Amino acid sequence: MGLFNAKNKAAAVLKGRVEGIAKVTGAGKYAAEYRVDNMCHAVFAGSTIAAGTIKSIYLENAKQVEGVLAIITHLNKPGVPGFTTEAKIKDTRAGLPLFHTDKVYFRNQPIAMVVANTLEEATYAASLIEVTYEEDKATVDFKKAHPTVPLSLQGRERGSLDAWSSAPVVVDQEYDIAAEVHNPMEMHATIAHWTAADKLVLYDKTQGVVNVQRTISKIFEIPTENIEVFSEFVGGGFGSGLRVWTNAVGAVMAAKQVDRPVKLMLTRPQMFSLTGYRPAAWQRVKLGADKEGKFLGIHHQGKNGTSAFEPFQEGLTTITRMIYNFDNLKAEQSIVPLNLGTPTWMRGPGDCTGAFAVECAIDELSYQLNMDPVALRLKNFAITHDPENKKPYSSNFIDECITKGAEMIDWKQRKQQPGAITEGDWKVGYGVAVGMWGAGRGNASAGISMEKDGTMTVKTAMTDIGTGTGTAMQNMTHTFTGMPKDKIKIELGHSTLPTAGSQGGSTGMSSISGAVSAVCEVLKKQLAAYAAAINPAYKDAKPGDVLLSATGVSLKSDNNEFVSLADIWQKNNLTTIAVKASSGPGAERQQYAFCCSTAHFAKVRVNTKTGKVKVERAVCVADGGTIVNEKPAANQISGAIVGGIGMALMEEIHPDDKLGNLVGNDLAGYHFAVNADAPMIEVAFINKPDPYVNPSGAKGLGEVGIIGCAPAIANAIYNATGKRLRDLPITPDKVLI
Amino acid sequence: MKPFSFSKSDKVSKALSAKKEAVQFLAGGTNLVDLMKKNIAVPDGLIDISAVLSDKVEAQTVNTRIGAMVRNSALATDPQILAKNPLVAKAVLAGASPQIRNMASTAGNLLQRTRCPYFYETSTPCNKRNPGSGCSALHGEQRMSAIIGYNDACVAVHPSDLCIALAALSASVNVTDKGNKQLVIPFKDFHKLPESTPELDNHLPKDAIITSVDIPDNPFNKHFAYLKLRDRDSYAFALVSVAAALELEGNRIKDARLASGGVAHKPWRWQKAEQYLKGKEANAATFSAAAAMVADEVKPLPGNGFKKVMLMGAIETALQNCLTA
Amino acid sequence: MNGKNFYSRRFFLKTSGALAALAAIPATVKSFYLDAKRLIIPPRQKQPLIVKVNKQTHRLEADTRTTLLDLLREDLHLTGTKKGCDHGQCGACTVHVNGERVLSCLTLAATLPGKEVTTIEGLADGDQLHPMQEAFLECDGFQCGYCTPGQIMSAVACVKEGHTKSVAEIKEFMSGNLCRCGAYNGIVESIQKVAK
Repeated sequence: MGLFNAKNKAAAVLKGRVEGIAKVTGAGKYAAEYRVDNMCHAVFAGSTIAAGTIKSIYLENAKQVEGVLAIITHLNKPGVPGFTTEAKIKDTRAGLPLFHTDKVYFRNQPIAMVVANTLEEATYAASLIEVTYEEDKATVDFKKAHPTVPLSLQGRERGSLDAWSSAPVVVDQEYDIAAEVHNPMEMHATIAHWTAADKLVLYDKTQGVVNVQRTISKIFEIPTENIEVFSEFVGGGFGSGLRVWTNAVGAVMAAKQVDRPVKLMLTRPQMFSLTGYRPAAWQRVKLGADKEGKFLGIHHQGKNGTSAFEPFQEGLTTITRMIYNFDNLKAEQSIVPLNLGTPTWMRGPGDCTGAFAVECAIDELSYQLNMDPVALRLKNFAITHDPENKKPYSSNFIDECITKGAEMIDWKQRKQQPGAITEGDWKVGYGVAVGMWGAGRGNASAGISMEKDGTMTVKTAMTDIGTGTGTAMQNMTHTFTGMPKDKIKIELGHSTLPTAGSQGGSTGMSSISGAVSAVCEVLKKQLAAYAAAINPAYKDAKPGDVLLSATGVSLKSDNNEFVSLADIWQKNNLTTIAVKASSGPGAERQQYAFCCSTAHFAKVRVNTKTGKVKVERAVCVADGGTIVNEKPAANQISGAIVGGIGMALMEEIHPDDKLGNLVGNDLAGYHFAVNADAPMIEVAFINKPDPYVNPSGAKGLGEVGIIGCAPAIANAIYNATGKRLRDLPITPDKVLI
Repeated sequence: MKPFSFSKSDKVSKALSAKKEAVQFLAGGTNLVDLMKKNIAVPDGLIDISAVLSDKVEAQTVNTRIGAMVRNSALATDPQILAKNPLVAKAVLAGASPQIRNMASTAGNLLQRTRCPYFYETSTPCNKRNPGSGCSALHGEQRMSAIIGYNDACVAVHPSDLCIALAALSASVNVTDKGNKQLVIPFKDFHKLPESTPELDNHLPKDAIITSVDIPDNPFNKHFAYLKLRDRDSYAFALVSVAAALELEGNRIKDARLASGGVAHKPWRWQKAEQYLKGKEANAATFSAAAAMVADEVKPLPGNGFKKVMLMGAIETALQNCLTA
Repeated sequence: MNGKNFYSRRFFLKTSGALAALAAIPATVKSFYLDAKRLIIPPRQKQPLIVKVNKQTHRLEADTRTTLLDLLREDLHLTGTKKGCDHGQCGACTVHVNGERVLSCLTLAATLPGKEVTTIEGLADGDQLHPMQEAFLECDGFQCGYCTPGQIMSAVACVKEGHTKSVAEIKEFMSGNLCRCGAYNGIVESIQKVAK
């Protein structure tokens, strides 16, 4: 514990992130990397059919493998109290209970688990397990399955469809998007260690230690406080770490069974089936406008895939309610059960998929109107109020984003006529789209412990999945207290630290900034009280007037009333000052609507002979309130655009309709963008504080960076070629044929 | 992975005599180790032959000899290759990643197995992996599948880039067999089509070792191109690739070479198109006609019709690039 | 999995009703056991191994199946080298063997005697970071940090190989290292900085 920035020296702090040295030296410990004595390894064997019933499992060969300690299947699984009734199972929110059914719902569903002394032995033994099945017909192809599933109304209908049935300009198109897989570079892994009959230590890859505690507590029926969870370094998540998956449940089960600590790291192919994905979606958008381009109404329909055993609905039509002003809106949605694992939130969930359809439809409309798509959007933006609930936006600079982005990419070089710019076999085009995400905030707690030498350790249970949470905490603590950054250490990602929710939905920064602000206030109050014993000027000091330095405290006053830390410690007989505070959203949520936004611009080159699409420039201007962390914030946005390039041009899972498997379920078969696929991405921020969202004025950027990116690229391809492609990813074959 | 014995050999003859039925030779390991992890290759033992094979590129009287153990990265930067057979360097650099190229050997590149995703998914039928079990790709996902030379038994393609250049340049493969006999196999006869034995990728005799590859001296070091089209810009296998090389006299094509990867079970030479190009003016119309001849030869599967169009575009582009390279 | 109920909100409950049917072992198990082939399972093969990692010599016994990656992570507890795919498809496990970048997941440990391995843990000179590590800090060439050791090992080699003449060249020669956070801007800038 406390490894997060343990390695950092003062000089390094000024150069980069608080955990930077741990990351560039390989010292940071990710879930599977903790050293636990007497540890053994567990490996899943997965089903080789996509639907049916297990008839038999033959383990005799696997058992012969040297070093095998146990093999767990549904026939011999140890008792799991949280899986004994359907009500309990549902309450765990852990999905399909591991090894508790003979039914197979998808390929690679874990049906056995080998525990062995070494990874080599466990892996080999798992390959020797033979299973027979009663196979049922499986459905894995979303495009084939969705037409028979009916839609139902999603959310309130605004106005009516009839009101714009005779709109002068109408776009009515269907948009498809293939399923994508999060594929964080670190595969999901857990080390489970029962330190007593009812005490558990977990080293887990997760975006939220509290969620792991809660879920495992329900499944194994031990008190949450008996479960200690470490997730100090998390090798990416993008949403896959927001649920507790079978790797954690399996490791805990196995550790109980063999009475030894157990490590379970999923394989890359297992990551495609066992840790969620962005489901495939179909959408239809009908958009009507008057001759001047004022939107009259939208009819947005959407369906997304889910598993055969759990409903998962994407908020496909949510974004349609946020960005633009128009009077009539009808949204309909449904979900399509498939024999695949359960999908889950993936970066910009719902909005990302929804924005592809809506932002492409708006682009199509702009060509029908022969109107610049930037101007068309500016004409329709809802800047002052949330068009759905009519609350004023706390702040919304989406218009500034699009104006600034247009300047950055030199939008005037774009030709309104598609296919107008040709360079040899290459066509050049420009595209634009915008993204928006509700700026949420959750409850969070933070603590500070302070030593006599001024060293402060700021703590929270929240994880940092690469977003820069730790660095932001350091920056904010510095801002709120005045303490030099090299005196501020960070501890996070551990369940015994002050509690905080998962890092997800772009709420991490917003939630934790409230907690850090609150705990800094408490610390300053406490220090003022101690200082008052030496200097009475501190008696009624407001926390806002107390300033910290490496050597002491002072007051914002004419003669600054400096009191040294040494004196405070001595006078009050202190060892360590420890304070804690919590914070969360309040009444402002009733008064205002909150959003963050992006404007994406792409310049693409499309080869007419080979179908190759090259993103030559990608520009993004983001409004995320105050930017607390300039470099990591820009990094997060440009990283999201790399994800957006993948979404637009290459990412898709290919389910085999006959065999039910995911074809090419590894990093050679599933392409996401490599370094060469991305240009040097250009990012800028509005950097104006949101006055109401939280004390720092900063809003999360994780989701909004990807929302709108893929449609900007698709729109650029149209501008380059005159070919409207409505089916992501836009691979070279679709460009050619 | 199944347990296996491991030994290292210091001489070709010793390695050959130590070779038993279920034992495999290991060189760079970039493909074999992967296949073993997938339980597709399940040898009882490995003999590491990386120390017994030449890692030198040598200029000989009428050819360039590439030692079997010359790593891909060394091949791509070798001064003699760059001077005499730069097409080879281009092709090598289009394949894999710098790390893999540092590991992978020349001979191993020839022997790498298909990347058909069904071959790699051991829970699905595959005649190449499990003869007689059927071909999943024939009725499945065919994005990476063949468009020529396939049959119902197998629609997989050979994944190499290097081999496309070697095929274009009419290389030959030097082999030492179990009885220590030296054989020379012309490149066009080295790899095979699936026929009735899709489990076999090539005609390398059983228990033999490739010792080197020869490229005959050729006039194709001035006007050449290697174009690889894939689903992302780098570190991906080809949808289609084209090795093109021209010998020009003024603007007239004296001789031409044209080969493709990602289209067949073996590196594929477009000989009709090569013949056509000879004597023609090097211009867009000629290239387009050559591409059309190639397109006439291919028979895409239901799931990869795009490859025909893509291949035509790739051939035109590659030939055009020969003039500017 | 058919019928209207399937699409209802409660379908989780309905399908998980299958849980109740687990009490007994299926009757077919017995007959299958008679048919199933009992294989002869070969014992694991261990060999003494001398490996030099970060200038330190380790003598140990290793399973012939053990890759350099698993040897580093599981046996030598050098976990800076990351497992991102285990099949040569991501570059997270990049280390230097005899000064060249290679993938440790496709390198059998048994092939290592006589060679020198350098991992991310061996790159810095004591507390003095390697210039590439410094550059990654300054250019923020990472987010989650999981691909970072592989990126840095690859970047050091990329500079040594001289593949830094343009952004395009750097990008091509760094494309064997996937970064799902997409920190490619900072990675390229780090290399440019060091290559200067």
